[in-house]
Parts: sequence; C-alpha cells; structure tokens
Amino acid sequence: MNQKFTSMLFRSILAALMLSAVFAASSSAAPAWKFEGKALEGKETIVGAAFESSLTIPGLTTKCENFLYKLTIENVSGTGKGSVTELPLYNCTTNSKWCTVEAIAAEKLPWAAQAKLVSTTNYIVIEGIRVSILYAGELCALGETTAIVTGSAGGRIDNTAETATFDKASFTATGTTLKALGSAIEWNGVFPTEAFEWHRTQALTVS
Amino acid sequence: MAPHPGADSFIASVSKAASARVLLALAAALLLLGLAGCGGGGSDATTASTSSDGTSASAPSQSTEKAHPSAPQGKEGAPSQDSTKQGDPQAKPAGSGEGKQGPRVSLPKGSPEPEPTPQQRAESTLASISLSSPALTPGPESISTLPATYTCDGKDTWPPLKWSGVPAGTAELALFALNLEPVDEALFFDWALAGIDPSSEGTESGQLPKGAVVGRNSFGKNGYSICPAGDRETVIFALYALPQDLGARTGFDPATLRKQILASSGNSGLLAVSYGRE
Repeated sequence: MNQKFTSMLFRSILAALMLSAVFAASSSAAPAWKFEGKALEGKETIVGAAFESSLTIPGLTTKCENFLYKLTIENVSGTGKGSVTELPLYNCTTNSKWCTVEAIAAEKLPWAAQAKLVSTTNYIVIEGIRVSILYAGELCALGETTAIVTGSAGGRIDNTAETATFDKASFTATGTTLKALGSAIEWNGVFPTEAFEWHRTQALTVS
Repeated sequence: MAPHPGADSFIASVSKAASARVLLALAAALLLLGLAGCGGGGSDATTASTSSDGTSASAPSQSTEKAHPSAPQGKEGAPSQDSTKQGDPQAKPAGSGEGKQGPRVSLPKGSPEPEPTPQQRAESTLASISLSSPALTPGPESISTLPATYTCDGKDTWPPLKWSGVPAGTAELALFALNLEPVDEALFFDWALAGIDPSSEGTESGQLPKGAVVGRNSFGKNGYSICPAGDRETVIFALYALPQDLGARTGFDPATLRKQILASSGNSGLLAVSYGRE
C-alpha cells in the first residue's frame, strides 16, 4: 500500500511540478525581436534617433539634445539580444556659464543589449554604458577634467509607436542606473526605432 | 495490524484515477498552453494585438528615405526570407512598408559632438577613481545632499569620504572641495588638502587622512568650511592622484596647486553634492 501510495504521491508531485514549470516558463519567457509579427532570423541593424532627449548630470547639469544609436539585433534562443555599436551625441551643453562640453564620446562599444519583459511591459536594457565628457573653462570647477558616465539603462518599448522610451520610470522598472559625479543621472528620451538593413520598411515589435 | 484487504484496491483505484486525472489535467493544460502559444516568445496576446496594430490596413505608408551616413545602399525593399514564408497569415512581403506604422527616424541637425582627441585625453584628468561618502543622502533631481552638520550651519567639519581605484604608482593624493559657481571671477575653494598618502582609502569626519597638508581656503583659513552665501550651493569634491610629489606646504594656495595638478594630467575622483537652506 505504502509503495503504491508513495508512487501516486510522487506522480502527483511530478505532475504539479511540470505544470508549475510550464506556467513559470510561459510567464517569464523572454521577449524576441519581430518584424511584421514574425521572429527575426539572423541579424539586423536598427537605428534610433531621439525626438527629444537629454542626459542630465546633477551638479553640473549636462544635457545633450539629441542622440542616435545603432543597434545590431538578433534572437538568441528565442530571446531578443543586441549590441549598441554607435552612439553619437549632439548639441551637448551645461547649465553653467563657466563650463562647456569640450568633447564627449561613447566608449567601450559595443554595449550589450537585451529585450526584457517586466510584468507585462517589454523593455530594452543596455548594459556596460560608458560615456566620457571632457569639460572646459578656466573658471569651471570641472575644467580640464573628463567625467565618466557609467551604468545601464532600460527603455520601455512601445510596439505600436515603434519607440523605446527612456525615463525615470523605465530605469526603475528595469533596475538600471547611470551614474556620474557620484550621483544617479537621468536620461530622458523617446527613440523611434527602425530596421536599417533587410527589414527596413517593416514594423518592428518586441514580444 | 494487517491492512484491510479492500483498502489497497481502494487506494489503488483512487491512485489510478488520481494519476489519470493528473495526467489528463496536465495534457489539457499543455494543449491549452500550446494553443495559446505560451510556450515561448513571451506574451502572444501582446504579439497578436501588436501585430494587428502594426499591420493595420489603415496604417499610412510612409516614405522610406533615410539619410544616415552608414545606411547600406541598394537594400531597400530587399526580400526577407522570414516574411515571405507560406502559410503565415501575418506575413507580408518585405519592403511593402504596409506594416510600418511608427514614426520614422529623423536625424538630429548638425554634427555630433567631437570625441576627445588623444591629446585631450592625455592632458585632462580622468575621473576614474570612485569617490563617495556614506554621510550623503540622495536628494531632489538625484544629486546627493550634504547634511547641515557638514556646513557652517552645523559643526562645519568635512563629511566622511571613501575612495578606491587609485592607480598604482601614485605619489600622493590631493583633495579639494570647491564651489561649482565661481565667486568674484575666481574658483572658490572650501577645502584643500595635499600630500595625502596614496595608500589611504578615505577620511573620517573631522579626521585628516594620513600625510595630509592643509591649504588656505577661500575664506582665508587653513581648514574646511562650507558656508553658502545664498540658499543653495553645489560643491564638487575632487580627489586627484598625482604622479609626482608636488611638495605642498601648510597654507598652500589651492588655485596654484590645482593648476599644477591639472597640468600633470593624473586621475581623479569626483563627487557632486548640494546643500540648501530650506
């Protein structure tokens, strides 16, 4: 009796475990890149340019009005992955009349990116970010100093608008932070994204 | 006590029935999950709605012109193997543009900011040292707030500071606290230390780090003071790793020493703090 009962118990537990594993897998399944609703096969390059974007470093508030990014994407084992290969920044200024941005550069490219599902929302998470900013100005407290922005950034993906939005909420949701001068910095921007190569006229979604 | 002969068969039958029910439930659940497409690729409910949005017939077909310098030429409308497979109701010929609903990427005007040249990199100090303070609290707009105790509204002693990542071969460290905004057309130094032992990893509040020599601050005293003239002030703590000993003595002029430091192009650690009287 005991053997049969134990066997039944084990089978029940096994079945329950299998069921929960299936549900767990479905609820945490990573999102993939899709064009016209079909999963991307192979690689594609997408480009994003902000409508309006700013990188705000507290202390010496430094803003860049525009960004571009170029991202190579692919699905690896069903998960949307990618790497940021270019990030030119435009029209960078500070809020101090004493300090100017002499030069600025995204460094240590490519930066790894991954599509991520948080709750019911899809995000793109970029890691390994490093931007160096050289300030100038004789009376600038940071003159002749290269400040470094490091960390990770998460942007909320809107499949209908085909945009990635980076803001405080998207950073919080993805647990990402960018830091400079010892403080967390803000990156706000809405980036329309589109394919640059084989799928350049197709709707890009992440799901 | 011997088990009741009927008990085994009852349990066995229940067991069989239970196993069969569990297996049936499992099969049904798998079937349902398979039909719902939950087995991979995330939420297909989202996909379905998105796809239908994305491929809406009413979606305007937009121009496919692009101006990015690195755009590959001659690939516009190139056929996609993915989207031309048979049997997929969502598949559309690549390059049709019918599915493109979102806004097109428009490039910023002007040229990108220049990258630091090798000469600029060599001549500037690189903020590669981590500088932090456990006494600071995150403030509005993310900038760390300096508690009043570390200003003339309190004890006016420096906050505890910690640093790491001082490069090997550093001869000495120098530490400045200076206002972000100059005063009377000059940098305003709240605190200046030189000669700090490069093996040190920080300083406690009110306790000078090993080897430190104190410079004359902009209030005219050899010491520390943060005392805003207005309601709010931003102060930059800057730690410099110097490749050679600058031989500063007590009461040194921080502005002169800073110029020497910047000319020697070492590494630095930066920490921006804000103090306000609300």
